[in-house]
Amino acid sequence: MIIKETKLDNITIVAPVGTLDASTASLLNENKVLSETSATVVLDLSQVDFLDSSGLGALVGIARKKREKKADMVLTSMNDNVRKVFEITQAFQLFDVYDDARSAAEHCRTKTASQ
Amino acid sequence: MKDSTITLCLPGNIRFTRLASLTASKTAELFLSSMKVSKGIDDFQHAFELSVSEAFTNAARYASPSSHPQPVTISFRFEEKQLTASITDSNPAFTIEPPAPDIENYPEGGYGLLLIRSLMDTVSCRRENNTNTITMSKQPEIH
Repeated sequence: MIIKETKLDNITIVAPVGTLDASTASLLNENKVLSETSATVVLDLSQVDFLDSSGLGALVGIARKKREKKADMVLTSMNDNVRKVFEITQAFQLFDVYDDARSAAEHCRTKTASQ
Repeated sequence: MKDSTITLCLPGNIRFTRLASLTASKTAELFLSSMKVSKGIDDFQHAFELSVSEAFTNAARYASPSSHPQPVTISFRFEEKQLTASITDSNPAFTIEPPAPDIENYPEGGYGLLLIRSLMDTVSCRRENNTNTITMSKQPEIH
């Protein structure tokens, strides 16, 4: 798995590419933007072709740490199979999810400005 | 095709998780190709891909020692109306009835068996000769 980073409206978009399972979840935890900074970020899942509970666990852990730092991680562009994992586990309760990265970045920019 | 069995033996290491799950997906595709299935193909493949990923991860995570992990055996049995996957390891006994994750407390684990039980028609676990086997079956929708 590789992880791409871009900027949109001064918000960092992090886009993992490939599979998020037990063999790759640690790479997300090692990503500095996701795990070390107190900046709110968008996680673009459009290029994640498969996610299991280990991948979901990594996302939950990163979101929890972000919120402990008064920041957030919002999600965007998940495919149907990734969405199914969120539905079964009720993980949608834990994340703001947007259809596209621009909408997600706009949400983050507004939220950051209001703090 | 009926009554055929495919067996794959992998080291109990999470590095091999994707090999296990992709094999499951492709085996499900092969099973469906022998049946008159017109819908739910992607869902059927994904159910096996995800369930085997979860079961293999559980087996590999508790395999020891990590330098020489015990093998994990995955078998797929083609039956008349359903596909059955079994994952066998030689780890200490485990329970198939873990508590459901308390989603409001941001749990980072505990979702695996919840997913398997949601996606498969039947799930069972047995302890025999110092091995654990989780067996999962699912029928495709036939039209």
